Amino acid sequence: MSTTQSDSTDGLEEPDDDKLFRDRVRENPRPAMAWLAGLAFLLLLEIGRVFAGVGQAFGIVGFTVELLASVPTSVGDNVAGTLGSAAGFVATAVTAVLMAFAVTVPVAGSVPDGAVDVLGLDLSRRGRRWAKRAELTFVLVAAAGLVAYTPVGGAFSALIGAITGGVDALAASLPSITSRDLIPNTGHRLPEGGWEGTFLGLSPATAWAIRTGLVFAYATTALVWLWRGFDVYRTHYRLADWTPRDDTVRRFRNNYWGLFGFAIVFLFVVMALWAPAVSPVEAQHNIYEPNSHEFQYLSEDGEVTSTTHVFANLQSRSDGQNTIGPMSYDDYDRWAPLGTTNRGQDMMTHLSYGARTSLVIGLTAIGLGALIAVVLSLLSSYYKGVTDIVTVMASDTIQAVPALLLIMLVSVVFQEANHPIAQPLDGGLLLALIFAFAYWPGMWRSIRGPSLQVSEQEWVDAAKSYGQTPLQTMRKHMAPYIAGYILIYGSLLIGAVIISTAALTFLGLGINPPTPEWGRLIDGGQSYVATDSWHVATIPGIAIVLVVIAFNALGDAIRDAIDPEADVDESEAAATGGGA
Amino acid sequence: MSRHTAPTTPGDEGRPAPDTMVKVRDLKTYYEGGGLLDDRPVKAVDGVSFDIRRGETLGLVGESGCGKTTLGRTLIRLEEATDGEVLFDGTDITSLRGDQLYEWRRNAQMVFQDPDSSLNDRMTIGEIVREPLDVHDWKTPADRRERVKSLLDEVGLSPEHYYRYPHQFSGGQRQRIGIARTLALNPEFIVLDEPVSALDVSVQAEIINLLEDLQEEFDLTYLFIAHDLSVVRHICDRVAVMYLGNIMEIGPTEELFTDPANPYTHALLSAIPKPDPTASRDRITLHGTPPNPRYPPTGCPFSTRCPVRIRPDEHENLDDEVWEGINGLREIIRERMRADRSIRERVRERFGLETRFATIDETYDELFGDLAVPDEVDRVLSEITDAAGDHEEREALDRLNAEFGSVCDGVDPDGGDEPVEPEYYEVSDSGRLSYCHRHDERYRETATVIDDRS
Ligand code: SF4
Repeated sequence: MSTTQSDSTDGLEEPDDDKLFRDRVRENPRPAMAWLAGLAFLLLLEIGRVFAGVGQAFGIVGFTVELLASVPTSVGDNVAGTLGSAAGFVATAVTAVLMAFAVTVPVAGSVPDGAVDVLGLDLSRRGRRWAKRAELTFVLVAAAGLVAYTPVGGAFSALIGAITGGVDALAASLPSITSRDLIPNTGHRLPEGGWEGTFLGLSPATAWAIRTGLVFAYATTALVWLWRGFDVYRTHYRLADWTPRDDTVRRFRNNYWGLFGFAIVFLFVVMALWAPAVSPVEAQHNIYEPNSHEFQYLSEDGEVTSTTHVFANLQSRSDGQNTIGPMSYDDYDRWAPLGTTNRGQDMMTHLSYGARTSLVIGLTAIGLGALIAVVLSLLSSYYKGVTDIVTVMASDTIQAVPALLLIMLVSVVFQEANHPIAQPLDGGLLLALIFAFAYWPGMWRSIRGPSLQVSEQEWVDAAKSYGQTPLQTMRKHMAPYIAGYILIYGSLLIGAVIISTAALTFLGLGINPPTPEWGRLIDGGQSYVATDSWHVATIPGIAIVLVVIAFNALGDAIRDAIDPEADVDESEAAATGGGA
Repeated sequence: MSRHTAPTTPGDEGRPAPDTMVKVRDLKTYYEGGGLLDDRPVKAVDGVSFDIRRGETLGLVGESGCGKTTLGRTLIRLEEATDGEVLFDGTDITSLRGDQLYEWRRNAQMVFQDPDSSLNDRMTIGEIVREPLDVHDWKTPADRRERVKSLLDEVGLSPEHYYRYPHQFSGGQRQRIGIARTLALNPEFIVLDEPVSALDVSVQAEIINLLEDLQEEFDLTYLFIAHDLSVVRHICDRVAVMYLGNIMEIGPTEELFTDPANPYTHALLSAIPKPDPTASRDRITLHGTPPNPRYPPTGCPFSTRCPVRIRPDEHENLDDEVWEGINGLREIIRERMRADRSIRERVRERFGLETRFATIDETYDELFGDLAVPDEVDRVLSEITDAAGDHEEREALDRLNAEFGSVCDGVDPDGGDEPVEPEYYEVSDSGRLSYCHRHDERYRETATVIDDRS
């Protein structure tokens, strides 16, 4: 998350200093090489997972593209239903063009001017900008039309299919250091003692601990590698010997409360990313399709028998009468580091996949909401007047409806209609989109002050005085100042989103089973808190509290870190820097 | 002093204007009122006309809030003019659009007042100074880098500062960086908006010297906005004195400083401590604050505070303090007229309860309580206060103007109904202009009146 801010400022330096940077690396390649070698080594260790991740990214992009691509036709169909098919076709085309155009506005700036010159028109500067956007729109629409209405489309999807298939095959065949194949922890006891099927014949508990330990070691190494990258860049390649970001980083590093938050968030994210590795049983087997997966165990009469997860789960429930507590095996030789749920499924598996669910929802909701908030705050503080009033009215209208009510209402409507958007994550994506919609006004309000303030700075006037375009002015002179604030509010709100998701699921509204979700765990365990099965609700409850606190701590720390006023020795920096 | 009337648009006729660069004619910049109900604009610049000659430094002075910064910003199109023309070498730039505006912007740049706010802290000095070049696609990136480095050298910084951040510099150095950015596009005309007022006194002189050197080197034309008169006297060739959106006096610096013609200039100059204790002129203290530019007074903009305001003959010899009271009363009535009383306040008033407005009687006591007011004046005044007390403010004002008003308040001495405003009178051979009725031969000169009244 913390890269957003540096991205936006780094981007500024690149276009022109690009060549210089390359030259600098060429002159002194060793540090960069060592660092890249580290990257190669890290990637190689987890090559299987890397490809799995790439495959998943493909899937997400594909889904998004499909969803967006279906918008023009569905708009067209709706119009056709009332006004006839010709109008429907026009509506489809208009929607497609508008959407394509919306894409080109931010992109056009980075496309070389050459394309426009083809027409040989003598255009004004403004005209050129619009011509460029129009041409790009045309290209996009033409490409989309080609894919949608001609045989090219078939070939295109075949190609995509082949690539995805290849990636998936690679993901399945390549090894990973944290994979279940390399360090298996599911096996059964042998009648004569010892274990069969586990890593080196160790107990499942030990094998699981080794694998989980590896995951965290790996993730920590990756973090260190990232930090090294910043350090290498700073000492060897950066031309400036000091930047305001250095101070930000230094202040953050000295903030222990913030570091605590960061550590918890890091744990949470790693757990989510490596959910398949840190869960003792496979989610597919234990949670999603317990009927169709068998495993072996040593039965009471001393024979190795085979049973399905669904049956074993029934016998392993933690429901007050029966308890499989933390750090224990159930009767089927399955290791349950955090015990089982009230339905007999593995708690650790639920927790890690639930972290994934929460993280996806949180990031999608906050990412989207923040994007809307930032764009609107830039526009409304730069143009003021009518733009501002319209935004105020829109956000007031949304805020007038209680957020939770709005969320429940919309989510029920979409789920009842079985809209395709309600499918992914059993309603998780839908929830994320609704959160984004319900929370952007709040975020916009909280960055409105800072953006109005920055729009009043003289450097914005200066940019106007030499003819900088509004878009560039907003991007270079305003956005970097808002980025910090949106990071703060984003990380504060992400906790709220996580807790709201859990709350809704607790009420049976948010995310449907089987997708794991922390709120459902708490719901399932709430009646056993006073029994032996106290852990069912307590563990996810503690996890949620920790994560929310951690995100808040992180947000606070970011605020302190970006605030130069919090620094005493700023004057000192000025003194050492000046001098001439 | 010559006392013939000059045309309100100076320099247009007769006078040869050898090398005029900027011609401003009847320029108005109004800000629309923010409120929903009150749509009276703020008249920040209310019809000014002047010329800026090529290569000169024209100073623009006045109290804060007089519209000088707005005027400067309008000249470089940071503010949209409401009316009037700004001719740059013959082109009216108030109507430029699109590419023409973009091209023209090269020629006119601005140095901002606050060096903390004028540089984007997240960019390196190099990026900051380069941005104008990038925007105008000046040569190649490598050339731009070279140019930035030479500009940094030019303003007294070193090329190594290219990769530093503004945080690392002191106020004076930051202002130098701002100046380097201003020069990047080789402009001909630069608006300097109080360029040194935010700096330590010790560095002010350095920056001023730098600006002078640069002017010489690059043939720059400056509009120097300031409220520090000693700096203005040092650097400017000519000075325009601004009050409430109007130019009160404009002319060569030395002349204007040694022999001010306009009452406002007198007042402004008398506020600077005199190095020469034998100087004959008395210190004039200005009473009150400038009026709200949303509601400028009718007639002369300075009439509410002018120490030599023209008085009707029959009251010429009234006590100065009584006059002060009358002026205060006028202001209070005007204020009451535009204050929108809430319904609640109206009701409270009805029942004689206390409101946030002092009753007019209280006001009257405060203003005239311990003064010896001649009987017939007192009679008129109580009529006026009675009318005002009944919320007939319009009537009260009319009565007050009829009795005590003069040409300075817009009352036409020839009996016309339209309010009259002063004209520009040419007050010296150098073409100095002053905006005051006192230069009309019907009235006594400013200097004599000052001596008289003090
Ligand atoms: S016109 Fe009247 S009020 Fe205005 S400056 Fe001259 S004397 Fe003073």
